[in-house]
Formats: sequence, C-alpha cells, structure tokens
Amino acid sequence: MRLPQFRRYGTRLLLLILGIVAVAQCADYFLVVKANRRNAVERIHQDLDEGARLFTRRVDARLDELSGRAALMSDDYSIRQLFLKDQPDPATVRSALRSYSERMGVPFMALLTPDGEEIGDTGGVLPKAALAPFKNLVKVAAAADDPRAKAFARLPPGGAAGKLYALLVVPIYAPKPEIVAWIGLALPIGHEFAMGLKADARLEVTFYFGLSGEMAPVESTLPGSDAVPVDSSSLGSGIRNVLVGGESYVTAYRPLLPLITPGRAAIALQRSLEAELGPSRLLERFLLLLLLASLAAAALIAPPFARNLSRPLIALAEHTKVIARGDYGKRLELGRADEIGALAESFNRMSEGLAERDRVRDLLDKNVSPEVAAQLLRDGGALGGEEREVTVLFVDLRSFTRLSESMPPRDVLALLNRYFDRMSGIVEIYRGVVDKYIGDAIMALFGAPVEQANHADSAILAALEMKSALARLNAELAAEGRAKLSFGVGINTSRIIAGNIGSSRRLNYSVVGDGVNVAARLQDLTRMSQFRADILISAATLAAARGKYRVRSLGAAPVRGRDEPVDVYAVDGVE
Amino acid sequence: MNTMHRAAAISLLAATAVAVRAAGTVRVETRDPAGAPVADAVAYVHPLDAAAEVYPPAEPVAITQRDQEFHPYVTAIVVGTRVVFPNKDNVQHHVYSVSPAKKFEIPLYIGDSTETIVFDRPGPVTLGCNIHDWMVAYILVLDTPYFATTGRDGTAEISGLPPGRYRLEVWHPRLAGKVGRDLAVAEAGDTTQVVSVTLRPDRRIRRAPDGGGADYK
Repeated sequence: MRLPQFRRYGTRLLLLILGIVAVAQCADYFLVVKANRRNAVERIHQDLDEGARLFTRRVDARLDELSGRAALMSDDYSIRQLFLKDQPDPATVRSALRSYSERMGVPFMALLTPDGEEIGDTGGVLPKAALAPFKNLVKVAAAADDPRAKAFARLPPGGAAGKLYALLVVPIYAPKPEIVAWIGLALPIGHEFAMGLKADARLEVTFYFGLSGEMAPVESTLPGSDAVPVDSSSLGSGIRNVLVGGESYVTAYRPLLPLITPGRAAIALQRSLEAELGPSRLLERFLLLLLLASLAAAALIAPPFARNLSRPLIALAEHTKVIARGDYGKRLELGRADEIGALAESFNRMSEGLAERDRVRDLLDKNVSPEVAAQLLRDGGALGGEEREVTVLFVDLRSFTRLSESMPPRDVLALLNRYFDRMSGIVEIYRGVVDKYIGDAIMALFGAPVEQANHADSAILAALEMKSALARLNAELAAEGRAKLSFGVGINTSRIIAGNIGSSRRLNYSVVGDGVNVAARLQDLTRMSQFRADILISAATLAAARGKYRVRSLGAAPVRGRDEPVDVYAVDGVE
Repeated sequence: MNTMHRAAAISLLAATAVAVRAAGTVRVETRDPAGAPVADAVAYVHPLDAAAEVYPPAEPVAITQRDQEFHPYVTAIVVGTRVVFPNKDNVQHHVYSVSPAKKFEIPLYIGDSTETIVFDRPGPVTLGCNIHDWMVAYILVLDTPYFATTGRDGTAEISGLPPGRYRLEVWHPRLAGKVGRDLAVAEAGDTTQVVSVTLRPDRRIRRAPDGGGADYK
C-alpha cells in the first residue's frame, strides 16, 4: 500500500529529517543511559573494593591501636605485681582486667598463661566457652616472629547467639623476651562497626556467618529484613547484583579471614544502583527533553525547508508543461544561485535550444529526406542567405485542372497526394529538397540547402526516375479504370540566392533568382508543340551535368525578363 | 657408642675399686648449627649413680647493675645460694622476677642493696628491671654442684667429677627445652662433648644509642 503523503517530496523530506534527528538523538540518549549505568556500576565496583580495603584497614588500625595499648599495659608495673604472687587472686585479676579494659576501650579482655590457659578475664560479655579460640590464637602468636596474633572469631563458637569479633593476643614480657602471660582482647565486629564503615564508605554493610552452606546475616546496616541469607559459595563470586527490598544493589562479598572458629564469616558491601544513578538521571531527563525539543525543531524547520526545495521543482515541472505545449518563449526565473538555480538555467538553455531547433524544423517544413534533415540539423549552416549554384526542378501535371473537374474533391486530393508521394519520394532519393508544392506542381532544389557536388545530375536522374514512376502510376490507374496522368519537367542550373525567406512570423528556406524562373519557364515549354518533350533542361544544366545523357537540342527559347533566349534540350534517357 | 658403653662399664668398675678422690673432667663445646661457638650456655651434669649434694657458697653471689645492664647476663648457682644485686649506676633500679622458680622484687634502690635473695628452688629465673625494659639477665638455679658456663669460645669445663655415669644437660636463655645426653667419666679421664644447640632469635630490646654502655655478649 502506498501512503499518499509519501508522494510529496516535502513530506518525505520532513520524515527524513525527523527520522535522522530521532535516530541520532535516540542513539545519543541510549548511549548516554548505557554509559551512565556502566560508569555507575564501575564506580560502585571501585567503591566496593575501596570499602573492603577500608574495612580491613579499620580492623587492623583498631587492633594495632589496641595492641599498642596492650603492650603499654603489659609493661606496666602494676600488672607485674599480679605475677609476683604465687597464686593471683581471681577476683583481683578480674577487677584489674576490667579496669584495664575500660582504660583501653574494649568490652572483653582475658589474661592467659604462656600456654594459653586462662588466668582470668573481665567476664560479663563473653561466657567461659569463648576462651578456647584465644588458646588457639596464642599458639599462632607464639610461633610468629613478632609474638602477637589476630583473627576473626565467632564467640561463643557454638550456639546460635554468637557474635563476630576480631581477636587479638599480645604478650606480657617480664622482661622481654620472656613471655610470662598473654593478654587477649575481643573487638566486636557488630552494629557500631558496620555503621561507622557505612558512614565513611557510603556503603551498606552486612556481616554474615554460617557453619556451612548458607550464611545468615548477623549484623547489617540495611533496615529490618532486607539483609537475606546467602550461600557461602558467593564468597568467590566477586561482585554481583543482589535484589534488596526489590531494588538492585551492587554487592561484593569478602570473607573475614582468618576465622579461628569453625564456619565461615563474610562482610557484604552494597550500594543501590538506583541511588548511584541519581545524578545521571537528571542528565538523562535533560537529554530526553533535548530529544523532544530537537524533534519539534526539526518538525518546524523541515516543512519550510522542504517547500524551499519543492517549490522550484514544482515550478520546473510547470515549466516543463509549458515547454511541452511548445511555448519556448518563457524563461524560468527562480533567482537562485544553487544547484536548483543551475537546473533552471539549464532548463532555460534547453528551451532556447528547443526553440532554435523548432525554427530549424520550420525551415525544413518541407518534404526532406531524414538524411538531409539530419545533416541540416547537424551542420546548421547553409540556412543563412547566400549565393550558390543549385539546380531547380519544376514538375507540373498537365490538364489536371480539367481532370479534377470530373472528380469528387476527395478523390482529387487522394490522387494528387498519391502522385506527390511518389514524386517527392524520388526527390528525396536523389538528395533533393521539395521546396514547395504549387497547386499540382512541385518545386525541388538540388544542391541547397545541402551542398551537393553533382546537383545537375541528381536533378536529371530524378526527372528520369519520375517519368518511370509516372508510367508505373499510370499502369495502376489504368488497372483501376481511371484516366492517365502526364507531366512536364523543367530543369535549370544557376547561381541563385538561398536563405530564410518570409516574415518574422513565418520564415521559409527557399531560393530566389532568375534561374528559378528559367526552370519554371522550361517546364511551361514542355506543353508547346515546338518543344514537345516531358523533360526539358537548360544548356547551363547540361553543362553542369557530369553524366552522359541522351539529349536532343530543341533550339533557343525566349524567357520572360531575360534579354537572351535560353538553349533548351530534351532529355530522353541515360546514355 | 659401643666403646662409650664399654668405657662406662670399666669406669664403674674402677670407681668401686679406686678411692673417691680420683676425679675426671668433662669439656663441653657448644656449637650452633652453623658451627659457631655459643656463649652464655650453662652446661651441668647430674650423677646417675648417686645423689648429688649441693653446698651453697658462704658468700652471696653478686649480679651487678652497671650501665643499666645486668652483669653477668647468665649466672648459674646451686639451690640455696644467696644473691645480691648491687646497683653501680647513678639511677635507681627495680629488680624483679616473676619466674616460677623465684618470684621477688627489690623496689627502686641505688647502691648496694641490703636485700639478699635466696634462690631455694631449682629452675631458670628471668631477672628484669621494672623501669628499664631492656634490662634482662638469667639465673639458672641447679640442684647439682657440677656446672660451668660457656665463654665466648663456647667451651665450658666441668671438673672434679668422680668417675661414674652422668646426665649432661645444656641450658641457654634462648634454647627451647633442654639438650642432654648420658656420658661416663673415667678416673682422671677427660672427655670432650660437642653439643649442638639451636637458639631462638635474640629478641632482647635494643637500647637507644645514648642509653650508655650496652654490651650484650
């Protein structure tokens, strides 16, 4: 189905411009949206990595700080006092440790023998069973070059109510390098820690723990039930998108290592993709507006532009119709310097050319053979007034007026045209030009307007051919039971004037001169008994002819308007 | 080993036959795994055939504090020995030990302390100064009179040993556990024992250069 509006160039241009603008702007918009999303995800990835490093740094920094304080404490005079006794008093040890733990800002502190057995602890926060991991950590520390160790732990190790801690053991020297005891510290990796990390890293923080398989959230900055259990295989999966409360969060899981108690612990760092995209969304909305504005602008600009283009084309089309009607006089004035202006100019030149050709056609408004016409159009020249030698042939039907009186006009014309058709065909064959029909007579030119070296021969041969043709026509007429036709031919060769003759409204290419009269006169003579012959030529024609013909001299004949008579010859045939 | 066993058997016979006055010497050469001599190691032997009687010296043994260091670094004594800690520095010191073999402290003092500490249990004792963390010294309290401390050449000579079988042990502050072997001492016989010891890294606190006169060897 063809849409009617597509027929109009303006509409097509409008659709094209709108299409290009729409495609370009939409591509722009979607590329920007895509790039924003990619950048946001990349930014979150970097922030997640940074967040994970920040977490490690914060834990390490806090533990290092505690380690420093514990080292200071271990060298303290008063703590050595505890070991001067053979059996330190448990209540004294506990109260002393509570005092130290308060001074250091940790909720739990234990004093352990060089082998990791408990001497005492602050109690309260952790039950006795929580101390087993410290013993393991002491073993690690004792084997280390720098005898201190840290690890994550879930305390108490068993049970559901455990919490995550970062543990630290620091030696007590008396003096260095003699380790007389260990101080064990437990730093809770809990809500406060998560909130602190969230504030600094702008990330949601969730701590996970699981004995095997699934890990459950133990602490989270996410509200309520948004933190969901996760399979422990996620630890190795790098960064993923996780739905949190129906929103997409870019999430990184990192294991908490080393974990000195059984199971697996991890930290999940997350940021909402939508929140990260917030600033980009503004830009995207602006781009969307820009897209619509561009489309509107294109819709406004395209029609005038299209009209600007189509109007001259319509004018050209109209002008074409004018030219088709044959009116070459009008010029197309578009007043433009661009390609369309050039087209209009070409159009004008074309109509001028057509006008010129038309004039030429006018001039050749005669029965001219196609070759002659082509040569005339090609060479162009020969149309100006000039003097040249030509041979003029007059052929006239005898007694046709009388014959025509006994026939209906339609038949007269039909017969005449039948006759003219044969005769003028022969003129063409011999490269002559039928100059005009005068009643039942034909005036033909040889050697003009097309140059012809042997124009006299052509004229004579054409006359002889016409005679044969007339005989054939008469045979046909006899068969039709109609009266015979007879004609007389007069041929003269002379220098005459050839060119466009007529008024400014109607020009004809023709010849004028005395020689024309002589030819006409010779044709007249064919009816006179003295010169009784079908074909008469002048001495000038005989002289110009190069071929050999059977001729008879018929003596001189006076010609009107001429002082000297003309020698007349009858042509009977070719020798 | 065969020859040693045989030698031990012969010496046992000899010990019963010959008067108790006869004495032998055990020369101990301590070497680290690289073959270098190890100083400050205490080599001591316990007789395996008889109880060793120890007689603490009449005069106390002195461990001096000079240039804010203990001298000597390692001291071997027998159970019941009295030790004094004269302070030759112009700053006060606070000598203490929290070792199980002897827990004591002599609060800040200067000059010759009047306090004498009796080391009445065998075992290693680590000495420290409560206000100078880098100060450390060791006392090895022994329940045998046969001991000697290696010098810089890594050798120690235990002499005056009645012939018989002994348990030789080597102790060093940085030695984990004990290194020991059984041996036999013949009448007036000399035996040289090369003992290989592997020490833990020296983790003593390095003093600042202006701390004055630190000399650890």
